[in-house]
Amino acid sequence: MTTTTVVEAWTEQPLVRFVGQSSARIVVVMTPAGQVLAQHGFTRAVDLMSAAALGAAIMASSGALAQQVGESTFGALYHAGQRHGIHLAACNTPRGRLIVLTVFGRETSIGLVQVFFEEFVIALRQAAPVEEPRGPVLPADFENELNSSLATLFRR
Amino acid sequence: MSLVNFTTREITCKIVYYGPGRSGKTTNLQYIYGQVPDDRRGRMVSLATQTDRTLFFDFLPLELGSISGFTTKFQLYTVPGQVYYNATRKLVLQGADGVVFVADSQIRQLDENLESLQNLHQNVLEHGIDIRTLPMVMQFNKQDLPRELILAPQELDDALNFRGAQTLSADALHGQGVFETLKAISAEVLRKLSESSATARRG
Repeated sequence: MTTTTVVEAWTEQPLVRFVGQSSARIVVVMTPAGQVLAQHGFTRAVDLMSAAALGAAIMASSGALAQQVGESTFGALYHAGQRHGIHLAACNTPRGRLIVLTVFGRETSIGLVQVFFEEFVIALRQAAPVEEPRGPVLPADFENELNSSLATLFRR
Repeated sequence: MSLVNFTTREITCKIVYYGPGRSGKTTNLQYIYGQVPDDRRGRMVSLATQTDRTLFFDFLPLELGSISGFTTKFQLYTVPGQVYYNATRKLVLQGADGVVFVADSQIRQLDENLESLQNLHQNVLEHGIDIRTLPMVMQFNKQDLPRELILAPQELDDALNFRGAQTLSADALHGQGVFETLKAISAEVLRKLSESSATARRG
C-alpha cells in the first residue's frame, strides 16, 4: 500500500513527484539524527524507523571516513541487491542538512534514480521555508500525563 | 533536536544511553523491549559484534502515548561502550535530545565510568553543545551485586555527578530502576521542550 507521511508539509510535493518520476518503491527524507521528516511509497518495503536510523548512521559513518581521508564528504551511496537497491544521499536545504533514502526495485534503475534525485534536491531547496517552525505548546503540568502514559506503557 | 509534527500532533525525541563497556546500556533497552506491548514499540535493531558487544548502536523506537494532545515517540539508542569505538559513539550522539549515563557500580569500574563521562563531555562539545544544556540523568546500575564489590549510590554520586543530574539506582538485568530511569529522562527532555517553546512564544 502506498502511503505518505510528512512532518513538514513543504517536503510533500517534491517527494511525491520524485517517487513518481523515479518509480522508486519508497523514499524516506530524514534528519542527520535519523528522525523521519517525510516518506512516500510502499511502506511494506522497509521498516521505516529502523531504516531511517540505519540510513542516518551509514551517512554519518561515511562522512566521518571521508574526513579521515581529507574529503569534506562523499557523494551518494548506492547498494545493489538481487531484487532491491538503495540510494542514499545527503542534501543541504535552507532548513538544514537532510538525508534521503531511496529504495527501488527492478522496475527502475540507479541511473533514473540519480537523474531524478538531482531534480528532487532542487525542488526541495525551492520549497523549503526559511523561517523556523513554531514551537510546541506543552503546558507546565505535562508531567502528570507523562507519568500516566508511562505507567500504561509499562503496564503498572 | 526534538521533531514536532503539528499536522499529526506528534513529538519525536532521541535519547542516547551512554556509559562504559558492559555497564548495562543494551540491557536497559532489552528490558524495555520485553516489557512494552507490541503495538507501542518498533523493531529493536542491534548492530553488535559476534560476541554480542555493541559495535555501532542499538535502536528501539517507542511510543509513550499522548501528552498534552501530542503523540509522543522516543527513539532510544545505545552507544558502544568500548574505548576503541569512540568514532562511532560520537556519531550516535548527533541530534540527541537527552542522555542517560549508565554507570557500572562496581568499585573496579570507577575509572572506566570517569573516563566515559569525560568522553561524553568531549563528544558533546565536539557537536557544539554545552553539556550543561543537554538533559541528562545518571543510572547507577548493578546495585544488586554484593556490597563489598560496589560503591553505594552516594559514593557514586560524589565521584561522578559533577553537574547535579538526577540519579537512579538500578539492576537493569531484572528491570529494577529501568522504568524509573526512562521516566526521569523523558520528563527532563519534555521539560526542556516545554521551556524552549515558552521562550519562543515570549520572543
